[in-house]
Amino acid sequence: MAKKATPATSTYSPSPTTHKTRPPIFRSDDVDWVRPDGRAFHQCRPAFFRTGAVNAASGSAYAEFGNTKVIVSVFGPRESKKAMMYSDIGRLNCSVSYTTFSTPVRGQGSENKEFSSMLHKALEGAIILETFPKTTVDVFALVLESGGSDLPVVISCASLALADAGIMLYDLVASVSVSCFGKNLLIDPALEEENYQDGSLMITCMPSRYEVTQLTITGEWSTAKINEGMQLCLDASCKLVTIMRSCLKESAATVSEE
Amino acid sequence: MKGLSVGEKLFIEGGIAQDLRTDGRRRLTYRPISVETDVISQANGSARVRMGGTEVIATVKAELGRPNAMQPDKGKVSIFVDCSPTAEPTFEGRGGEELATELSVSLERCLLGGKSGAGAGIDLSSLIVVEGKLCWDLYIEGLVVSSDGNLLDALGAAIKAALSNTGIPKVNVSAEASANEQPEVDVSDEEFLQFDTSGVPVIVTLTKVGRHYIVDATLEEESQMSSAISISVNRHCHVCGLTKRGGAGVDPSVILDMISVGKHVSEQLLNKLDSEIAAAEADEEE
Repeated sequence: MAKKATPATSTYSPSPTTHKTRPPIFRSDDVDWVRPDGRAFHQCRPAFFRTGAVNAASGSAYAEFGNTKVIVSVFGPRESKKAMMYSDIGRLNCSVSYTTFSTPVRGQGSENKEFSSMLHKALEGAIILETFPKTTVDVFALVLESGGSDLPVVISCASLALADAGIMLYDLVASVSVSCFGKNLLIDPALEEENYQDGSLMITCMPSRYEVTQLTITGEWSTAKINEGMQLCLDASCKLVTIMRSCLKESAATVSEE
Repeated sequence: MKGLSVGEKLFIEGGIAQDLRTDGRRRLTYRPISVETDVISQANGSARVRMGGTEVIATVKAELGRPNAMQPDKGKVSIFVDCSPTAEPTFEGRGGEELATELSVSLERCLLGGKSGAGAGIDLSSLIVVEGKLCWDLYIEGLVVSSDGNLLDALGAAIKAALSNTGIPKVNVSAEASANEQPEVDVSDEEFLQFDTSGVPVIVTLTKVGRHYIVDATLEEESQMSSAISISVNRHCHVCGLTKRGGAGVDPSVILDMISVGKHVSEQLLNKLDSEIAAAEADEEE
């Protein structure tokens, strides 16, 4: 893996891959290796949330986890498009996009075309759609910078934006992923870790109801490891949701002061 | 979504609760599966799989390409699914696109393993011709011919059958080229290499209706689901991928239970499928 992508050339030509940092080499038998950002295996990046990032939206939130920066705005509930059929429950429309400068290689973010539907599936179980019949709620997420675990951050941030918009929710949705390297599980992987992972597991859940709304696994996993990974994620999302909740309380407090 | 009356819905749900479904099956019984291989002669490998009213075709095309700079010792595999409007009028235009993307992403997740290539059903390093310069790109295409539920399992089975039917032409690399040039190759049209498909997992979708879960749901049953989990399991009984469908929340312990049920079912499906594929290939040789 550490092999250089292109042989040395006499003239300058931009390398197609980024080598800003040396590619980390992970070995399952090496217990001493440290993560590129110096975290412990089961330590998440510091999370930062702020609501009210966009003025024009009914609700919005900004989230920053290490280098991953996303902004989510929620519009509506507003009248569904004319072409839509009548529906006695509300509709949820989700879209996730990447800025062209968010990824190491320009425009790489368009590879993640399934994120919009994954966001939809993660959120729809948490929203009380019956409270806004005949209307649509639009959730637009923009990844400003991709630094690993993009989808979990987008999902957590979107549920915060929905809460900020005053949409009725059963519970906040928190999402965490783990990467698997040999025998080790790494929580909240950064981009360079995601590029070399053997497998990954992502959970989105509603911690107070203790329900999983979305779960994806890639790579080969034994049952014991799935158990361990799920427990790790559920635990982390319970902690994450307290941070999200305190952010909501903070913004509510500042509004009432004014 | 099919328009069902209240009575029909209750009939389906009640039947599932009593372990006797509308077509007489039990909760964990599959519809009869039939496999036919080598149905498209233009492709390197192909198969048609029928499960009751669901019919899908999978084809594998191999093309020579350049390996990814990040992984010079591995070939590339991509999976596309097409939902043809012949299967259902709602698939017309862009109607089938969402379902097609969802299916292809789920299949990629279930069959291709992690980023590093671990846990992949297909050994990517076997696709390399000249390291760092030349490799086989596999294009796996799935086509939904007729849809009566459980498309993902059917597509997974069809891809497995198509891969075991695939022959990759033998490539002779002529004379060592210098470091920067692409090597010259001679693609044989007589000698073919067969894939080792023993590692390709099968996909089992458990659909949760009420408090129970069923395998191989029909379209009518799928319209009553609260959520569904697709698990891909390989020969070693390891989970190779998992996707959840449907937005409803599920308790973590229920998911773990579904995984263990899925593993149990997958073993039978894997054996059944292997014998069907072997029979189809024997048929073809006659």
